[in-house]
Amino acid sequence: MRLTTLLAPYVMGAVMLLTAAPAQAEPEQAYAPVEVVHTEQVQAGPYHLTVGFSTWPLRAMQSLDFTFVPDGGLSGKSGTLAMTGPGLKQGMRRESPLSRHPRKRDVWGLDIQSLPTAGQWSFTFTVNGPRGQGTGTLGNVTVLEQPGPPLALSWTLCSLPVLGLIAFLAVAWRRHRPSRRLALIGVLKIRTPYRP
Amino acid sequence: MNPAPAYTVLAGTLMSLAGIHWDVQWHVDVGPDTFFTLPHLMLYSGSAIAGIASLVMVLRVTSAQRAGHPADPAVGGSPVRVLGGRFTAPLGYLVAGTGAALFLLYGLLDLWWHSLYGFDAVLDSPPHVALFISISLTMVGSVIVFAAARAQPWGRIGLVAGIPVLIMFTPLTTNAFSRLGLPIDARLAGSVFFAVCLVLMGAITLRRRRVALSIAVVLGLMQLFLWWFSPWAARVYADYVGLPLRDNLVGVPPLLPSIPMFMLVAALVIEGLLGLGRRRGWSARWLPQLVGAAGGVVVSLSMLVQMSSLSGGAGPVGRSAASVTAVVSDVLLGLTLGALAGFLAARFAVLLHLNAPAADQEGR
Repeated sequence: MRLTTLLAPYVMGAVMLLTAAPAQAEPEQAYAPVEVVHTEQVQAGPYHLTVGFSTWPLRAMQSLDFTFVPDGGLSGKSGTLAMTGPGLKQGMRRESPLSRHPRKRDVWGLDIQSLPTAGQWSFTFTVNGPRGQGTGTLGNVTVLEQPGPPLALSWTLCSLPVLGLIAFLAVAWRRHRPSRRLALIGVLKIRTPYRP
Repeated sequence: MNPAPAYTVLAGTLMSLAGIHWDVQWHVDVGPDTFFTLPHLMLYSGSAIAGIASLVMVLRVTSAQRAGHPADPAVGGSPVRVLGGRFTAPLGYLVAGTGAALFLLYGLLDLWWHSLYGFDAVLDSPPHVALFISISLTMVGSVIVFAAARAQPWGRIGLVAGIPVLIMFTPLTTNAFSRLGLPIDARLAGSVFFAVCLVLMGAITLRRRRVALSIAVVLGLMQLFLWWFSPWAARVYADYVGLPLRDNLVGVPPLLPSIPMFMLVAALVIEGLLGLGRRRGWSARWLPQLVGAAGGVVVSLSMLVQMSSLSGGAGPVGRSAASVTAVVSDVLLGLTLGALAGFLAARFAVLLHLNAPAADQEGR
């Protein structure tokens, strides 16, 4: 049997999956709503913000939705958010402009965002609006240890493919000793003209 | 010899490459994720197609072997006895198929990982790195398959197309080392090392003029395509499912800044030095290291310019791009990693030749 005949059903299957997927994608529009289970309050100069969390308490590496809601809505306001935490280098801040939450467009927020390390984190807001600029910090947000197996175990398990690749190369190297055969097989045979 | 299986594997790796760029762009530009998205489908289909083609080839060669026809090393590489001789697998298809199988296995682990940690798009999670290595294995298998068929024009063309796919993919994996806090930028080091090593390996393997240049041109074309494709596909898909784009988007496809954009210049240097070394009769013991070191410096310095221009002034290792320290440390990094890349490139080319020695005759 020719290879093309053998492969045809799989190629057709892949094409059907590709073409059928958009039809299935329609119901997927109903992405999970943003649920706030815990809130904290921050005063950034003249602006009062309510910070919402979709899970509480927070755990390292576990993603959640954050919402940042200024009193009076977003109209006429902009700002930045700087996060500091034990995972970041001394004095470094993860600073970004405040953006609307993609699944809750009437508030600022971060979607499916995780904090990488356990410890004390702080969120500093700088808000610009009709009453000028104001800055406020929500400090001492406790992030608990990561759930699941220890990271060392996960990394060991997931390093197996790269260790396999290295072992494969080591076996090939040991078997064929390529350094001794550079000239032998003419890979870089000097004075061997290039073929036109 | 039928090129269809080899090109099917290559098509699978190209789908994986485009799928990962689309997926990461989707996370950055749009956001909400489930396992069942079109970018994931493309990514998984790529490995599935490459894996099925590899499996079919292993079964065909096994069947031919049992019928008394000896396996031809030019078809996918040297035959390897698998599972106590039950199967006879051409080396290239064995590596490509193993990568695809591992990809599906670690895909299940990734699904469990997301059920525990959620869908934050962290590229350097343990299952993601395992997935990237698995895809890279399939790409390595594809390179072995085409190198074995280098006596045929389609084999040479496939190698020139397959090597850039691997170069494009390596920054995803080397990115995982960024979290270790190394004194050098892991992505920069990875880009310099793999780009030089793979381009030089291709040039030495095929022993023809303009191979390094051809690989660099194909690499550039792939970058141009993805520069257009990934933002376009993310926006079209977002429109289709009725999701808005995020605010404050940067506008640079997230994975492309780590891939050398000026590889053509490095390839010119590599071609020039290789040709000069051959004409002057320089020693094959150190010519690859010399060529690699020169190519490494060019890639390293060009990455300094590239990453600082794309990231608004900050150099690749977090210093000012214009500082003397940055230039000196990048020259040193390019020299050392380039020389190592050259050393390995020549030896890998030897291994590729030994894998299918019959085809070797055409280049002499």
